[in-house]
Amino acid sequence: MSGSSSDAEFRELFAQESSQRLGRLQKELLEIETGGSTEELVSSIFRDAHTLKGAAAVLAFEDVARVAQAMEDVLDGVRNHLRPVSAELVDVMLLAVDELGSMVAGVLAGEDRATDADRVELRLRELADGTPPLEIHRVRAVSTPAVVVPPAASRDEAVAPLAPVPLELPVAPHAGVLPSMPPEQPAPPTSGYPRVLGDTVIVPSGRLDELIRLVGETAAAQLRLGAIVEARFSSDPSVVSAFRDLTQVLHQLQERTMQVRMVPLSTITDSLRRAVRDAARSLGKEVHWEVRGGDTELDRGVLRQISDPLMHLLRNAVDHGIEAPLIRVTAGKPAIGTVRVHAMQLGAEVVIAVSDDGGGIDLDQVRSSAAARGLEVDGLDEDRLLQLIFRPGVSTAERVTELSGRGVGLDVVRAGVEAVRGRVEVHAELGKGTEFRLVVPITLAVLPCMLVESAGQRYAIPMHSVMHVQTRAGAAVTEVEGRTVLRLKEGVADVFDLAQVLWGVSERPPESGYLVVLSVTARRDAFIVERLIGQRDVVVKNLGGLLPRFGLLAGASVEPDGSILLVLDAQGLIDSAAGSGKATAAQGASAPDVEAEIEADSRSSILIVDDALTVRELERSILERAGYDVRVAGDGAEALARLAEARVDLVLTDLEMPLMDGFALTEAIRADHRWGNLPVLILTSRSSDEDRRRGLEAGADGYIVKSAFDEGALLAAIVRVLGPTR
Amino acid sequence: MRVLVLPVERGWYAVPMDSVDEVIARPEVALIPTAPSSLLGVFNLRGEIVPLFDTAALLETGSTKTGSHIVVIRSTLGRGGLLIHHAPESAELEEPVARAKHRAGVAVYGVGERLVTLLDLPELLGTKGAAGAFDFGRNSR
Repeated sequence: MSGSSSDAEFRELFAQESSQRLGRLQKELLEIETGGSTEELVSSIFRDAHTLKGAAAVLAFEDVARVAQAMEDVLDGVRNHLRPVSAELVDVMLLAVDELGSMVAGVLAGEDRATDADRVELRLRELADGTPPLEIHRVRAVSTPAVVVPPAASRDEAVAPLAPVPLELPVAPHAGVLPSMPPEQPAPPTSGYPRVLGDTVIVPSGRLDELIRLVGETAAAQLRLGAIVEARFSSDPSVVSAFRDLTQVLHQLQERTMQVRMVPLSTITDSLRRAVRDAARSLGKEVHWEVRGGDTELDRGVLRQISDPLMHLLRNAVDHGIEAPLIRVTAGKPAIGTVRVHAMQLGAEVVIAVSDDGGGIDLDQVRSSAAARGLEVDGLDEDRLLQLIFRPGVSTAERVTELSGRGVGLDVVRAGVEAVRGRVEVHAELGKGTEFRLVVPITLAVLPCMLVESAGQRYAIPMHSVMHVQTRAGAAVTEVEGRTVLRLKEGVADVFDLAQVLWGVSERPPESGYLVVLSVTARRDAFIVERLIGQRDVVVKNLGGLLPRFGLLAGASVEPDGSILLVLDAQGLIDSAAGSGKATAAQGASAPDVEAEIEADSRSSILIVDDALTVRELERSILERAGYDVRVAGDGAEALARLAEARVDLVLTDLEMPLMDGFALTEAIRADHRWGNLPVLILTSRSSDEDRRRGLEAGADGYIVKSAFDEGALLAAIVRVLGPTR
Repeated sequence: MRVLVLPVERGWYAVPMDSVDEVIARPEVALIPTAPSSLLGVFNLRGEIVPLFDTAALLETGSTKTGSHIVVIRSTLGRGGLLIHHAPESAELEEPVARAKHRAGVAVYGVGERLVTLLDLPELLGTKGAAGAFDFGRNSR
């Protein structure tokens, strides 16, 4: 192990290790600040700083090493109860973590970061003992320093702590000599090559992207092959066993490859938490941070794209959502505000809700801000008015700060989310809080779609938006308030001609074709198409960087015959239909429908118990679409009150809730003779065996983990308990 | 400067040769709902989906909807096709002979008997200074 290639390997290793340790340090520092100052946690932080220092020292990165040493000294005081954990201490330590991240990148590129190190060390030393650092004697890396590289597994222990000052590079016992690179020589470009760390191979993301693209192309090639088999041999390719086997293997390959791109939301929640913490500190507010569903996975590219919008929304929440402590107390709220990030998978989409319990959004402010921008505000209902905050320049804040301005930049948030074919929704209640929901696809590459034909052209519609399909003949289509609507179990859906919505033309005989009911969150519309072609996975591509996003399209795909298949966007269709003036959008159960009300009495009734508005509404949407009558409660105590009010056939409850949690609710239900046999399903993000056991012991009939559940799984669990819908 | 001279309606326009990928015959085009009149649709270029523009509509001089050739141009935002009536010709531009009056024109050059306006492609496609895309504020239906 010698020569510059080994040096480069260790630099790479150090980059990797320091990145992980600094990430963990940040997380631990944020935990210690919020009451987690246990001896174990302090020791863990100390260990990370110590190990980082040792690793930096062996590679002759003395500037990094002395900053880490200074951190160690501060932590030593905390560990020995000489120094309390204060917000100021965490401020300086987090600053040091940030600086170390920057310094590591700098020194790996051969930069001299001594001045940065001096500045940070000074802050740390002042914190450690109230005295400035002594004169620093630096030893620059020379051409052949005798720096020892211990085996990776024992490196932490092999390097003795450095003396605080004067700092000189330690010369450890020889186990092997690593010739150094001159400081001015940048690290070699190794990022294009895979690296092996134990059982893990780190592969450049570009290679993965190319692999995924090629797998997508195999799906298209398989379709072309099927078309050839059909044309040449006049045979359905699906009955040819070799073709069937190929299809199956390609499908598995596609699934496995897509999984490679998936990363949990938790990979960015530490940064989000840090942003909230820093914003709160700078504004003199106290904010409680809460994250749920951190293990929800989504495409790496999607996650990267929505990181900035999430950060923006969180800073907004702290700056303009959460009120000053005095105002909160006066309003009867806890002095400490709460900011939540709550994620869950719903079918092929992930919903990430950013909520706060602050002052909500002042609609009067929105109205006047929008009017000042020349926007039409007369006659807009609250929902439509609220949507104006996503228009450029419309602000809901009376002031704009360095951190944020709610309404300032929300157009950028929306653009960022839409860039990954997602959408953003907002719900606010004045004085109570605001919730932004980012609904994004799990992946961008392949979508299961239904293929339809309208006005002679074929289109793909993502399956997760398709709620229901039926022939027009015999469909319960009727007129209400001048609109054409389709009667459904769940209420009504307005009927539109797809060709009319897309092209403004309709040449179809009045009773032919099919009705495809599309649903987006709580909204649904039925679209008339001429023909249903089938269902298959579609490799979705964008329309090229020269074009903006078209609301009606999710993208396009190249067909086996080389033609282009447009992939429609359900949200865009519903929005466009609502704006077409052909009908007023009917929003399911909210539409006046006396018969539907009567029908509801005969349906099974489910009580959803969850303190998160997003989860409640999403579950309500799923269950109502499936034909259930739904009631909701925000916690266990409210649930018991609801149970006393009306008949409920099943309770679907979360675990973590204020006042009364899901365990206590389940026990209370079981203990009451009125509800002794009432089925209870727990739907939670807590996936440990201990929680599952506790839930079932409390008397629950089922336990569903949110991160793994989808609409089908939830409904199947309910049907298992209640039987098919009435 | 080496350019490709495009016949558009009754005029001649030039694009720098180094921004041209290829010239192809008009393929099958998929229409885009709600697209502006200057966007004729998208086509399949060896598996890549590429937008096709009506060059005359972009220049606000008429329409090349019935055009037969596509000049595939390359930009930092991706590739696009300019539909034109006839096959383009290559030429060498020397000194300009006049200032261009069109917003997307750089200058007017003499090429033989013809007067040719050199085009600023980012300006023509509305991508100048924008991280985003084609500007639909113009030429909309």
